Amino acid sequence: MGKKGFGQSVASTRKEKNFMRSFIKYAIKAKGNETQIQDFLKSNKAKLNESLLDALPLVFKTFLTGDFCDEREEVAQFFLIFGYTIRQFPLGDRMLNIELAIAAYKLALEIYIREAFPQDWAATQNNLGAAYCERLRGERAENLEKAIATYELALQVRTRKAFPQDWAMSQNNLGAAYNYRLRGERAENLEKAITTYELAIQVYTREAFPQDWAMSQNNLGNAYRDRLRGERAENIEKATAAFELALQVYTREAFPQGWAATKQNLGAAYYNRLRGERAENLEKATAAFELALQVYTREACPQDWASTKSNLAEVLMAVALITDNPDQLNIAVTFLQSALEIASPGSPYFIDAQYCLGNALSRRYENNHNPSDLQKALQAYKIALDAISPEHYDRKQIWQALPSTQSILGSRLVRDGQWQEGLQLLLNSVNQLSTSDNPLAHANALFLTGRAHETLSDWDNARLYYRDALRLYKHLQNQPGIAKSHTGLGGVLVSQGHLEKGISELAKAQESYHQLEQPEKAAEVESLRLAAQKVMESQMIEAYV
Amino acid sequence: MTTADDIFDQSGNNIQQLGLREIPFTESPTDLQSETLQYIFTGRENELRQVFNLFQSRERRRVLVYGRLGIGKSAFLLEVLSVLRRKRKDMLTTYISLPANLDLPTTALIALARAMPDDEWAQRQLYQMGIPTDKVQKERSAEISGSLGIGGKLGEKDLPITKPLYPTVSLDTLLDRAQKKYPQGVVIAIDDLDKQNPSVVRQLMHDAQGMLKGRAWFMLTGHPMGITGDLLTSERGLFDLQLKLEELDFPTTYQMLINYLNSTRINNDCNDPSDPRSVLPFLPETAQRFCKASFGKPRLFNRLGNTILSTAADLQVPLITSEVLFQGLRAATPKLLQKAALDLQEERVRMFLQQRGSLSDETITIEDLEQLGFRSFSDILPILERLEQADLAHQLNQDDAKVFAPLPLPPATDEPLPEA
Repeated sequence: MGKKGFGQSVASTRKEKNFMRSFIKYAIKAKGNETQIQDFLKSNKAKLNESLLDALPLVFKTFLTGDFCDEREEVAQFFLIFGYTIRQFPLGDRMLNIELAIAAYKLALEIYIREAFPQDWAATQNNLGAAYCERLRGERAENLEKAIATYELALQVRTRKAFPQDWAMSQNNLGAAYNYRLRGERAENLEKAITTYELAIQVYTREAFPQDWAMSQNNLGNAYRDRLRGERAENIEKATAAFELALQVYTREAFPQGWAATKQNLGAAYYNRLRGERAENLEKATAAFELALQVYTREACPQDWASTKSNLAEVLMAVALITDNPDQLNIAVTFLQSALEIASPGSPYFIDAQYCLGNALSRRYENNHNPSDLQKALQAYKIALDAISPEHYDRKQIWQALPSTQSILGSRLVRDGQWQEGLQLLLNSVNQLSTSDNPLAHANALFLTGRAHETLSDWDNARLYYRDALRLYKHLQNQPGIAKSHTGLGGVLVSQGHLEKGISELAKAQESYHQLEQPEKAAEVESLRLAAQKVMESQMIEAYV
Repeated sequence: MTTADDIFDQSGNNIQQLGLREIPFTESPTDLQSETLQYIFTGRENELRQVFNLFQSRERRRVLVYGRLGIGKSAFLLEVLSVLRRKRKDMLTTYISLPANLDLPTTALIALARAMPDDEWAQRQLYQMGIPTDKVQKERSAEISGSLGIGGKLGEKDLPITKPLYPTVSLDTLLDRAQKKYPQGVVIAIDDLDKQNPSVVRQLMHDAQGMLKGRAWFMLTGHPMGITGDLLTSERGLFDLQLKLEELDFPTTYQMLINYLNSTRINNDCNDPSDPRSVLPFLPETAQRFCKASFGKPRLFNRLGNTILSTAADLQVPLITSEVLFQGLRAATPKLLQKAALDLQEERVRMFLQQRGSLSDETITIEDLEQLGFRSFSDILPILERLEQADLAHQLNQDDAKVFAPLPLPPATDEPLPEA
């Protein structure tokens, strides 16, 4: 058979056409049973590929012109079902699944035009919005804007009066899009999310629509957890309460997915909780995440498994801070590394996990002083930064983590003799932190730069940076920083022969360490001060003689 | 009507009215002829002695001359080289200012090759690097001409310009050739390391250890923050002598003024400081005030001297009285500012310094820094150094802190001359 034109040949889409034909047949047979349709996709997982995505418009066109379906709207309906099923499908390449859903919805909208099929048009717009909300390809901020726009289109038809249930659904979805929104003011977006969820709950009552009510309660919980306005502690309490409400309906037996998702959210709420005992909250968070993992297995729900593992890792890191147990940090690192094996590069989970891995490794370095951990931490931060879009809210946080790690690594390298590279990293970090809104990290970097110069016997620069660090630590009223800067400065001044000034700095350091109740450090400084004192006295005697 | 020629003549006459052939001050010692430098170079006896003591040994040495900006490092280097040229006929001396983006071995190679104009291999090295040489090097290649297929012509094509692949090896080869011709050795002086970014200098020094330990004498210059401060003890140990140049004391500065004026004065060669004629067209009192205003810093001395003499010439006066000196010093700040072309932030720091009278890393407060839009003194240090380089500020001699103060020059408005 000859090729027609230069486009994709009919022969080359045969496989895809057959697949879609089978899907439609199966969907008819399953009479809309989602689980059965999902089973079909499960046994045809290999066919969910880029070729299918490319072929979908051609398949759609063939079905419209062929005799496979009686009516054009039937074709649209099956594509709508396909889009819906594939978006929910937990296996395969998540990024691709969502692309397939978007493509299918868009094709369905070619038939479902607003004037002729207002309800179907609105339903498809609603579903398209949901797919944009989860989309992994393209710029996330832009995708979320598209999601909001399509939900609002759907709501033009789905009014509360005419279609209250659909209206509630799209309001709920719109709330989710505002919750994730990257553009606009974050606080304002979260308020909008809360308002829309609360609107949805007016229709989604527990009595009439228990499942939808639970869903909106869960979502409302998320928005309260992230809320920026109002009292944070109070917002988190509200979030926890909402999750607990949702779990009254979302039982493990009846709704395993909803149950697991809400457990995960509840875990996050306990992790962030400000009221109650920290250790107890962390324990509850761990328990919630571990329960979620009973449903979110690596095989069945790899993406959710990865994100829950990352969350659990974060909790373990917080626990390690309290218990000082290095094992928990080690487990956290392992969890994050295994989560990253699954997470789609560039996805929000991937970025969060990389950032979290950077934190875990730098923390572990603080305990074990293994430079390879520090190198890996720097690498993780860099990967996170490279993957992040400029509009991502957490960018600032990662930007701050990067120079801080650079300064620690730089100082480490200087001590290990790689002073060129080390000093460069330190100076970079000081430079980046000088304009950041994290003055403590800046002070730390200045201190480390001072210490690096001291290691290099570059007294003038060491003195300069120690003084800078001291000034900033004093401004921040950071006692440990003040104590160590006085020590460093005193040591340098003594080394330079400015004994009187050096001794005075060391005396201040000694006093600071006493205040901090660190007698060992105070004693260390004292011995240095006494040695300097002795030198000064002998010099005075020599001068007198 | 006054023609341009008339103005030129008038200008010359105005200088002559001061008893001078020309204005002797120049801020760039490299512009000076060796004889002139010999005449005006003043002081630094101790430092010269230390360097020349090294040259009494056959052992090759490495000398680092460092000190603040404008302290006279280049002039010192040039003076040493000019003495060596006179005293050591069989020694080759070369001087180069470190070009941007070039490593030290290539820089040394260029300096040496330039000093060996008759050495074909040396000239070929320069040519290959795209540096103009007296004799243009061409590669000859045979080319058969035209369609007739008969005869032939010799064509020429330019050699491709390439940087030396192995500059250290090329330098070594060239040194080998030089030493055959100059048995007393080769001195390579590389100036202006301080004009490069400190991290670049660190890297350059680190990479050039092999070369520095090689078979030439090396003299390098840099300022403390740029070079010695940032080097490891082991790298600093590379130098047999680290010479710090300090500000000249008052008697030396006064003598330097006498020497400068004498180098260009008409009909008067008095150089006895106790004789008022030695500082003409200055009066002893204005000469002293001028010397004090220049803080013993040769570059500032030259810059101010130039402005004062130009102002006196414009005023068409024969003597630099207190009033003329005041006018001259008052003209200095706008000139220095114009030359410095400060950006907004630098100007802000300058104004702040002017207002505060001094800024020190020891006493500056976080509020002061925040007022300037910074959080650390190390952030404003490069700006203060830039002001120092432009002679709009100077660093005070305080060993345990970095202290900068504005130069006590009269503002462009009518205000009394502050004490220097």
